[in-house]
Amino acid sequence: MDLLRHLRYFVAVAQELHFGRAADRLHMAQSPLSQRIRSLERELGVQLFVRSSRQVALTPAGRVLLDEAPRLLAAADEVRALVHRVRDGGLGELRTGMPPDFDARLVAGVLASFRADCPEVRLDIQQALAAEQEQALATGAIDVGLVWHPLGARGLVTGPVLEKPLGVVLPADSDLAAHEQIDLGDLRDRALVMFPREAGPATYDDVLGTCRAYGFVPADVLHARQREFGVGLVMAGDAIAFSFDGEHAGEEVVWRPLWGSPLRMRVSTAWRDRAAGSTVDAFTRAVVATLRDEGGWVESRAAAPRQQGATVRRPSSGVLS
Amino acid sequence: MSGNGNGSANRVRAAEHARRAFERAGASGHLHVVDVDDGGRGVELDAGAPVAMASVFKLPLLVALFQQADAGALDLRERLSVRGDGAGLTGISQMQDPVELSLRDLALAMISVSDCTAADALYDRVGQPAVQDCLRRLGLTATSVDGCCRDMFAAIEQGTAAPAQTTPRDMTALLTAIWTDTAASTAACAAMRRLLQLQVWPHRLASGFPSDDVTVGGKTGTLPGIRNEVGVVEYPDGARYAAAVFTVTEDVTATLPEVDASIGTAARICVDALRHGS
Repeated sequence: MDLLRHLRYFVAVAQELHFGRAADRLHMAQSPLSQRIRSLERELGVQLFVRSSRQVALTPAGRVLLDEAPRLLAAADEVRALVHRVRDGGLGELRTGMPPDFDARLVAGVLASFRADCPEVRLDIQQALAAEQEQALATGAIDVGLVWHPLGARGLVTGPVLEKPLGVVLPADSDLAAHEQIDLGDLRDRALVMFPREAGPATYDDVLGTCRAYGFVPADVLHARQREFGVGLVMAGDAIAFSFDGEHAGEEVVWRPLWGSPLRMRVSTAWRDRAAGSTVDAFTRAVVATLRDEGGWVESRAAAPRQQGATVRRPSSGVLS
Repeated sequence: MSGNGNGSANRVRAAEHARRAFERAGASGHLHVVDVDDGGRGVELDAGAPVAMASVFKLPLLVALFQQADAGALDLRERLSVRGDGAGLTGISQMQDPVELSLRDLALAMISVSDCTAADALYDRVGQPAVQDCLRRLGLTATSVDGCCRDMFAAIEQGTAAPAQTTPRDMTALLTAIWTDTAASTAACAAMRRLLQLQVWPHRLASGFPSDDVTVGGKTGTLPGIRNEVGVVEYPDGARYAAAVFTVTEDVTATLPEVDASIGTAARICVDALRHGS
């Protein structure tokens, strides 16, 4: 039997102590209500009411059940609502990734913004390289990631793309430090500090390809896992590095913008179509708002963001070509 | 942002970087790169200078073919029997036996692998006056097509000027017309874009945009000392840019991969300036 439904009938009769009035309250006829109370009594093996021609009264077992039943019904309602909220995405856990070296203020900002929006959702953040995140998204190890563009992986849906120009970090005593803006081509054959290629192969190739296009062919490429280490190499006068405005303040290095901002980092949230939902959307909103308002990132001119894979494959890169 | 500077100054600087890219490769170049949806903004290097089209003439021929089909003057399913003469190095040109293809499949061969036998068959079917008329109607007054592949091979033999010339500016206007559905009917323009995106060569314009999420469609042109490509680059954010790049080298060596690549490099520099400049 449906115990919860029968308990609701019981509570109505027990509170009204009148089958007619209880039936009205439940919007049903009196006779099926009486039958259901009798089948509840059979189910529990006790008599719940003393019925006489003039009145209805609770038995001791009925009084105990009236004490307990409302609590049971309330708990059932709560469970039902809870499950629905998980289904609708208002509750549960969101597994996400962020690249290491991401500005601490922005990490904190994204977390605060997301929690304000979805206080009931537990946010599990893993620090992972952009390329590792693409892998984790593909296998379902995380629900949503924060990835660099161009994307290596296909088949991911992305949020709005935000971008920010890179400038150049020079030793303060460099001959180029006197210029307000640096032409990328004027870096000519200096050595360059880069993040390791595996951190984001497509982005790495994009940066070096652009340097070459402007005539900057680095004499050497030094790899730094941590930003601080890279700045150390710049301070030592061994190389130049690219970074965002304001990342490095100090007397020994200076930051200068590049003419025409040819180098830009682009970032967006990314997820598999299957993982789409309101918490992924909320995370995307938190990322976009924080990076835009606190990080100086701007949204790419996005006429109509398309799903990855909507582009036309080049014949020279086609399967079996 | 201070790094953005002044938009038009950046475009001038981008043109200078493009010039240097040609120079590093041992070439000189003319180019015009525009935003298809905002033709007012462009980067140029002598964009109004007359340049030899070489196989880029197949692009206005393609448009003339589709315009005639739109007008009912011919049926793209009509079949022609053609035979390669070995002059061109790709497609039917090198086949040993005659083949019969529809006009639209000849167009596919002409654009995707620059098939000269297919191009000359279409040129004969469409007719030189129709190609010239197509150019006039689109307002491409600096462009003239007075011959097809066999005339170009003959010009090389005789050391005379190639019989088709244009300007970078005319070619970005033609590409813009194809990409905005104004060169012919909507269906015809979509079909032409598809053919241009099926072009096989990765070494020129496409080499500057090595990304799975960027689409490149174009048509190359090659003669001794001349390497060209005109095409449209489409980004995942919906932005699209028409690029017309024409290079000249004194060195007539047939294989100069750095000059081929400089076409993509120069176009990329200009597209970046249009995307990021104010």
